[in-house]
Amino acid sequence: MIKRITSSKGIVTAVWVLGLVVIWEICAFIVGATQRTPVNVLPHLYQIIGSFFDTKSITGSGDTIATLVFSSAAETLSRALIGFIIGMVLGYILALLMHLSHIVEKIAFPYLMIIQMIPILGMAPIVLSITGDISSARIIIAAILTFYPVSTNTLAGFKSVGRERHELMRSYGASKFQLYTKMLIPSAMSYFFTGLKISAPMAITASILVDTLQGGNGLGCMLSQSLKGSMTRFVFWDIVIFSAVIGVLSYYLMGVIERAITPSKRKAKKKAQ
Amino acid sequence: MSEKTNAPEISVKNVSMVFSDSKGNPVQALKNVSIDIQKGEFISLLGPSGCGKSTLLRIVSDLLTPTSGEVTVCGKTPRETRLEQKFGIVFQNPVLLDWRTVRKNIRLPLEMMKVPKEEQASRIEQVLELVGLKEFGNSYPGQLSGGMQQRVGIARALAIQPDILLMDEPFSALDEFTREKLNDDVLSIWRKTNKTVLFVTHNIAESVYMSDRICVLSPHPGRLSAIVDVDLPRPRNADMRGTPEFAALVEKVRNSFEGI
Ligand SMILES: Nc1ncnc2c1ncn2[C@@H]1O[C@H](COP(=O)(O)OP(=O)(O)OP(=O)(O)O)[C@@H](O)[C@H]1O
Ligand SMILES: [Mg+2]
Repeated sequence: MIKRITSSKGIVTAVWVLGLVVIWEICAFIVGATQRTPVNVLPHLYQIIGSFFDTKSITGSGDTIATLVFSSAAETLSRALIGFIIGMVLGYILALLMHLSHIVEKIAFPYLMIIQMIPILGMAPIVLSITGDISSARIIIAAILTFYPVSTNTLAGFKSVGRERHELMRSYGASKFQLYTKMLIPSAMSYFFTGLKISAPMAITASILVDTLQGGNGLGCMLSQSLKGSMTRFVFWDIVIFSAVIGVLSYYLMGVIERAITPSKRKAKKKAQ
Repeated sequence: MSEKTNAPEISVKNVSMVFSDSKGNPVQALKNVSIDIQKGEFISLLGPSGCGKSTLLRIVSDLLTPTSGEVTVCGKTPRETRLEQKFGIVFQNPVLLDWRTVRKNIRLPLEMMKVPKEEQASRIEQVLELVGLKEFGNSYPGQLSGGMQQRVGIARALAIQPDILLMDEPFSALDEFTREKLNDDVLSIWRKTNKTVLFVTHNIAESVYMSDRICVLSPHPGRLSAIVDVDLPRPRNADMRGTPEFAALVEKVRNSFEGI
């Protein structure tokens, strides 16, 4: 009985969240007791959550914190989504090309590694100064960050298809097109989704980071204004928590989509339970 | 042996196969192997691991090209026969597509052969019946036992109505009970469909129980060291496993390994 409760996934998550809350509150008390600034830099959780639902306007145009967070989130996340989709499509196409041709793989792979190694903090200002437009910069950075995990994971998925599966298709006299559509692409599906699960939160974080480079009205921009003190400190914390939640949700969303399009996963899960 | 006058269904002449290992050194997997197989025969390839059984099967079915020697199948090259989809292959591991149901797994080769939809459905039901999996057509492979998965593999191979059934240690991963049951099932399918079967195994009793003839292969380099005729009456049944004739044949096959 006890074993069943502790093994349940919901309980584990609840304990984990509770632990995080306790640690946060302890830190908030310690920081609060040793404060040197007039406002507490690490507010209690109830203060942060309360501020989010505060109906008091914090800007001249009558925005509450919640409406401000939502409108800047719409701004940033829509760009992150566009970039994510572009990166996903291009990453998948590159994985296909690399698998179809050794030469393409040999040429493209080092570039992929380099793009992955350039820190995004350094890449973002360059992209911004080239495009001169914060919106396209957000899209491009999100696309670049999505591109690498999607293409490398998908390529690994194509390569993981074993010798006997290839021989099976060959024994049927399958064309290259049939080999890909009936065997390789479905086989690599879970690898592709692994790539998406890695890159979805990254695309979101990256777009927020690009925001901080320039004024405007994205999430990151609000973050830096709040840090500089031109907006209440609660905006900062609300956005941090909001973004963290969205990032985690984006990860789970990929899993939900994966299960929706692969019925065998749903059934296998049912059997396991 | 009056059939000897007919042209053999599968003819393997002086086939050798040399691979290179990871360091580039040559590995002789097969050396000067010759076998003639008649239409409708049940032939076993028997030998220890690494003697080239799978390699020979792959050469016959045009998954590999031999270094030297010649293979003809139904009077044609293996490649022509493969492209006519005359080979049904059952692998050691059943190689099912886990995202497709049992029915759709069996449909896979039929889709590629452009078999009309109604005929696909009727063939699928027919082979499901044959392997005794009628109720499991809509299950996913992950929901089946190993023995059932292997049956799906056999059903898929039969669905293309091949002339030649090639089976590479299809039951070596199964327990003794399941294996003996499937042995009987394969024999009864073979009787009903009258295909030529090339059956790879490293189990002596299994090869005696199943075959008309056993090709004994020995390793390093892989070569044919004996061909043993099995003159047990057909249809075979489980009681024969206990007879002195059966024991004598097992002994004869075992002895053909000694002296290697
Ligand atoms: N693609 C390959 N590249 C290099 N060497 C190979 C290759 N395929 C087989 N060999 C070698 O050829 C020899 C025969 O291999 P094969 O797979 O035909 O043996 P087998 O009789 O089927 O063994 P098992 O019973 O273990 O399946 C082995 O020594 C193996 O290492
Ligand atoms: Mg083998």
